[in-house]
Amino acid sequence: MTTSSLPALSDIPEDEVPGVLRIENSDKDATTPIIMDMLRSVYPHDQIFGEYCPVQAYIEAPPEDVYEYLADTRSLEEWTYSLRGFVESEEPGLWLAYDRLGPETKIFTRTVAHKDAMTVDYHCAWDQGQHLWMIYLLRVIDAQVVFNKPGSVVLWVNCKHPFYDENPYPETAPAKRPVWVGDFWEMFSAGHQLEMDNLKAICEYRAAHGLPIKPDWMK
Amino acid sequence: MINSATPAEPDAPGLPTVSLVDVASYLPGAPIGTEYFTQYSRSDRMAKNVMFRSPKARHHVDRDETAVDMVERAVAPLIERHGAQTITGIDVLLTHTQLPDNPVMGCGPEVARRLGMRPKHVIDMHNGGCAAFVHMMAMARMILQTTDARTALIAASQNCAGPVFTQPDIRKLAQAPVPGDGCGVGLLVKNDSAPILDIECRTYPEFAGDMEFSTNGERKYWEPGEGEGCVSFTESKITKVFARGNRLVPEVALAVCDRIGVKGRDIDTFITNQPNRLFLRNWHDALELPAQRHPDTFDQCGNLFAAGIPVTLDVENRAGRLRNGSVVLLSAFAHAGDFAGAAAIRWGAAR
Repeated sequence: MTTSSLPALSDIPEDEVPGVLRIENSDKDATTPIIMDMLRSVYPHDQIFGEYCPVQAYIEAPPEDVYEYLADTRSLEEWTYSLRGFVESEEPGLWLAYDRLGPETKIFTRTVAHKDAMTVDYHCAWDQGQHLWMIYLLRVIDAQVVFNKPGSVVLWVNCKHPFYDENPYPETAPAKRPVWVGDFWEMFSAGHQLEMDNLKAICEYRAAHGLPIKPDWMK
Repeated sequence: MINSATPAEPDAPGLPTVSLVDVASYLPGAPIGTEYFTQYSRSDRMAKNVMFRSPKARHHVDRDETAVDMVERAVAPLIERHGAQTITGIDVLLTHTQLPDNPVMGCGPEVARRLGMRPKHVIDMHNGGCAAFVHMMAMARMILQTTDARTALIAASQNCAGPVFTQPDIRKLAQAPVPGDGCGVGLLVKNDSAPILDIECRTYPEFAGDMEFSTNGERKYWEPGEGEGCVSFTESKITKVFARGNRLVPEVALAVCDRIGVKGRDIDTFITNQPNRLFLRNWHDALELPAQRHPDTFDQCGNLFAAGIPVTLDVENRAGRLRNGSVVLLSAFAHAGDFAGAAAIRWGAAR
């Protein structure tokens, strides 16, 4: 029995979808214990980071400026741990760099950014630039809205594409390279947090010293 | 007892070592089954509430049985094992009573009179809540280390289950079957036979005042009139307190582990307060301990508040499950999270 004015779930027979808990089929007395049971002192790493790798940070710098900085692919030269030597390839918007986690390892990046939503997605791949399957999803948020204070919140999520487990283009890999990017998946949460901390430190230093967040050399 | 952790020597170099040389306990009356409460339940669903999932049994103190009576009965085995003179010669007496028989005073002096003691220090400790046993260990150790006192008796009495949670309106509530009554005592001696390796006690003022005692009406508890007195949290605070408890007990436990140089997973026996099953699961998970190294008496006794730690210690010790030389870690949080404490002992009181 619904009390909503909208015909919610009216296309599906009642109780047809398993595992959907709504106030109509599971009242608060029944649902609260389920939620309490889900709360723990500690959570297994895999449960938190298994198929996803979310990291986030508050940065004491204006959100528009942080967005502009991140939206320029060359910012990765500064705040990432290991991506170096960015040059634009012959294909417009596709940048070539080296991921120094692997010897002689090329990384290709195309940045897809939307200013209104302040989303910055880096579409990347090791070795080849035809199929960019490693996607870094970033979103910049005005901290005034979410924390009631000036500054930025940056959310960054990766999803575990199946190619992390197996290199789909082994013929493009440099000879005798012993590692594959997916070998580091279990370290992504910590490694990305380290890079996020870099981003925070760099942006906050520039903001505190009156420097443009996006440095002049990138303009 | 799989692991033999090798913690560092007791902290505070230069101060004498204090040992928890024995524990004993007392449970009042015959076990009360959960059916006592379910007959009053408002609905079947309420009984299933996981936060307040019931123990199978609990003990209720008799209406005329005082906290002093409980302590006297809990101390009896200590007199048998250590001789009457050890108890009459106690230098320091610390007591904690959940529901004082007389609201304006604690039971310490009367316990001393009943047991024939003339202690130099008698202190009634009220703010340690469910962590009071650890709090009293810390205070007793401090007095033994810094004065010429040589022995201390600490006593934690939980006596609100029978009197409070069987009141006509209170016994209908989902949380009513959870508390049980009992009393646990510990004997501390200035020697190194069962050394207290370290203790951590923390007060969290930011969480003070989140637990209320009310008559479920306008009446102050000392005023005449209707309404049944009970400890209470609002629904939203229960979740907050749960999240705090999840964090606080491992936090102080691991602080002690860190200082004595032992990993949580190397602790031989971990004993905590036991408000409900979820906390027990979450706490040994946090220390990376299997459930069997985190014994409890929840199903037999319910939530024993401050008496939980010494009662479970005594049950485990009498069952021969506490090996001399093993590391026993105690940890608990109080009230809505305004106090937490942990203590590590190199056990030396095996039965």
